Amino acid sequence: MKHLKRNMRGALFILLGLFLLLTVYFYYNLFLYSDRWFSDPSNARVRVDMVNPKIIPGSIMDRNQKVLVDTKSTAKNGNTVTYYRDYHKDSKYAAHVIGSGQYGIGAEVLYIRYLLGYDNNLFERIYQKAFLDQEQGNNVILTIDIQLQKFIVEAMGKQKGSVVLMRPQTGEILAMVSQPSFNLSSTYEEPAEESLLNKASHGQYSPGSIMKVVTAAAALESMDEIQEYTVECRGVTEFDGVVITCSGGEAHGEVNLSRAMEVSCNAYFAKLSQEMGWKELKRTAEAFGFNKDFVFSDIKTTKSRLPVSRQTDAEELAWSGVGQGKILVSPLHMAMIASTIANGGIMTEPRLIYGIESRSGRIRLQNSNELASPISTETAQALTNMMIDVVENGTGKKARTTGLLIAGKTGTAEVGPEDNPHAWFIGFAPAEEPTLAIAVILENAGTGGNKAAPLAGKILREAVKSGY
Amino acid sequence: MNDKQYEILALTLRYWFVLLIIYVFAKSAARTLQDLFSEKPVNRSTGNIPFVLVLFTLTSFGLLAMQDSQNFNIDTVLMGLLVSAIVLFQFYLLYYLFPGMDEILLLMVNTLAILGFVMLQRLTPELALRQVEWFTAGSVILFVVMLIMPRFKSLGKMIYPLMALGAVTLFLVAFFGEESGGATSRLPVGSILVQPMELVKVIFILALANTLSEEKTFREKIPLFLFVAACILGIVLQKDLGSALHYFIVFLFVYQISTNDWLITMAAAGAGALASIIGYKIFSHVRVRVEAWKNPWADIGGKGWQVAQSLIAMGSGGLVGLGLGLGSPNIIPASRTDFIFAAICEEFGILVGGMVIGFFALILIRSMHKATLAQFSNDMLLACGSSVSLAVQAFIIIGGVVKMIPLTGVTLPFISYGGSSMVASFALLGLIQSVCIRNYRFAREMEGHESNHDEYNEDDMDEEAKENES
Repeated sequence: MKHLKRNMRGALFILLGLFLLLTVYFYYNLFLYSDRWFSDPSNARVRVDMVNPKIIPGSIMDRNQKVLVDTKSTAKNGNTVTYYRDYHKDSKYAAHVIGSGQYGIGAEVLYIRYLLGYDNNLFERIYQKAFLDQEQGNNVILTIDIQLQKFIVEAMGKQKGSVVLMRPQTGEILAMVSQPSFNLSSTYEEPAEESLLNKASHGQYSPGSIMKVVTAAAALESMDEIQEYTVECRGVTEFDGVVITCSGGEAHGEVNLSRAMEVSCNAYFAKLSQEMGWKELKRTAEAFGFNKDFVFSDIKTTKSRLPVSRQTDAEELAWSGVGQGKILVSPLHMAMIASTIANGGIMTEPRLIYGIESRSGRIRLQNSNELASPISTETAQALTNMMIDVVENGTGKKARTTGLLIAGKTGTAEVGPEDNPHAWFIGFAPAEEPTLAIAVILENAGTGGNKAAPLAGKILREAVKSGY
Repeated sequence: MNDKQYEILALTLRYWFVLLIIYVFAKSAARTLQDLFSEKPVNRSTGNIPFVLVLFTLTSFGLLAMQDSQNFNIDTVLMGLLVSAIVLFQFYLLYYLFPGMDEILLLMVNTLAILGFVMLQRLTPELALRQVEWFTAGSVILFVVMLIMPRFKSLGKMIYPLMALGAVTLFLVAFFGEESGGATSRLPVGSILVQPMELVKVIFILALANTLSEEKTFREKIPLFLFVAACILGIVLQKDLGSALHYFIVFLFVYQISTNDWLITMAAAGAGALASIIGYKIFSHVRVRVEAWKNPWADIGGKGWQVAQSLIAMGSGGLVGLGLGLGSPNIIPASRTDFIFAAICEEFGILVGGMVIGFFALILIRSMHKATLAQFSNDMLLACGSSVSLAVQAFIIIGGVVKMIPLTGVTLPFISYGGSSMVASFALLGLIQSVCIRNYRFAREMEGHESNHDEYNEDDMDEEAKENES
């Protein structure tokens, strides 16, 4: 009898624990993902009907409130009014950001909650139903500047790749370009599969040497005497049975951390990542958001991967520190890393919604959220100094611009013996007081220093000229 | 009334519905806490819950009656009145006939049933009436069980024919049942399709309680083991893996509680785990379920469709829901049975959804508490087995709907559409209630004898009980 009561109590606690777990799981998931689930393209509840719609969807504007998409009516035929989404001609410069319901991508899908006014409070919704002939959704004001988008798209020309330009302090994305793109206003051309992919957020690239920024950050955070730590680079350097070649077989001699960063010495960073071990590299990288599912309220993005663990062999680890292993990153994530360094070590959530304009014209500004602080302010400052050197004297020289101090890092990601490498550049400007952070990738374009750096310099100069 | 007026009404009434359910939940929770921590039995006040339930029923059915902008649907209003009348009649009849009954338990069950009625009325009005019929049938069963069960201390040898009947039926269904939704679990009886697997649950609990209430040797327990194995095998043959899991977990719990025999419990659990791994390897439909659970979005048009649509529905609802009649719960597959929880979350909101989980937890707490108060081990096991069964079933299906565990189709007790499920759940509730009644009667006897005796021991109690029965 005794054990019966005791066991019953035990069973009760087990089952109650399960119920508690269920409740927590239920609410936690809904809290995190309910907006995404709601805006999923297969949610038939929010499909926009265009004939006699209950709610007219709001328009999408850029940060200067230039209308990119709005709803227009075609003709009144008896009691039927047909509407259509009218894409402004400049919308093609931000096709991936604006997106369309037809393809199930972009703001048109992700921000349907706002566009259809589901975020309105009870009084507004009742007012609209009671006193308006036609209910209206809210207008979404994006953080992007369509003029900058246009500039970047034109500067890239036919080159495939992606550019992300953001503000480090607030996380606002000023420009997010993915090439090849497609034309939203033309319904006749069927866009190719590749052009529908937003490479900025969903592209998966090998980072190449821009990863060295993360390796250096890990070393600065974990090793006490990092400034004294040097490696003898012979162009083709061998240690512990691992052979590391530097770009073009160039021997850099005895290099310390800042010199290695400046000349992008593979041998140094390979040795460094072995010196500190996989744990430290992984810890800092994960603090930067590697191997983590980002759940941003405005943007969907893929996970960046750094697959190092206890099982990783010496060669793999060495190449991981150089950025040439099995690492995969998205350009958006690289821009976030650049902006973290620019922002004194604090990572902000990237945002695409500047504000929501309601029917009355009142604009509700969205807040910026701090995501994490992966590195200390001192580490960020040290990295900034090194990255300034890269642009002033090192591999990123071609990004140099008169009157604007840029900090950056170039990357050249080998993709195979046959193809040209991907050209990378991440950086921020002005280096003294950064207001802009950038990530550029040009697919199969050549070296980062020759191809990506000049473009990044050009874009940063234009952005500063536009007042950002 | 035009569409917009209906929408305004529904949008506003969302808060009203949530408030009413919160009231019922808070009252039930408060009463449960009182009962748990006070020595004296608390008075039998119902805390206005019946009144609030009637308010909820009438307003929700009244609202649904206006859903069609062309005409006011008087049938729906009548339906609301019917539901209120039946629930009130059932409750107060039992309340006055059985002084020992746990009234809060019955009220919570009625709340869940009413939520089910409203949802069914909104989804498929024809089914709501059927469900009310099943509810009435369930209440009659409840009444009968509460009337008869307290008179018997245990079923004695009577259990063996019942066990044989249960096991044989399950096998018969596996071979001659009608197929629906991939499982052959229904048997046509007259004009209706019965799901014996639901009804055998009651025999299952009775058999467990009956056999395990006394200390027995392994040899004496063999008939029970055979019965359990036969039941689970029969259900697996019906391809209803969720129910097989349910039976298995209930067996593990009750067996461990009663015998304290970790060795066999763990061995059985290990065997079960092994069987599920083999099942995963062999059966493709098991793998499909697991894949749909891991990432429903990967194949949203195919395997993941059910779970993804359920998540979308819950994500659309928000805290207070889209409003009764304003969502599209018909998009969710099996929204009347397996996924009714998602439909409730969409239109009534996730607050109400959380409280549905909470009601099942409270039902479990109350019944377990009543089980610990019982005088005889048979009673304890009856109440505890029944409540574990209800709780595990609710957990399996809600967990599947919210993507916490792989989805297996079992019904949500008292809410999902389905006659067999409703009747079986009420029979289990009846078992719990009869234990409460026995506890009460026993306490009364004790009071009566307080003046004559100073000390009691267990033998005395047993004699008392025997006298009582004869």
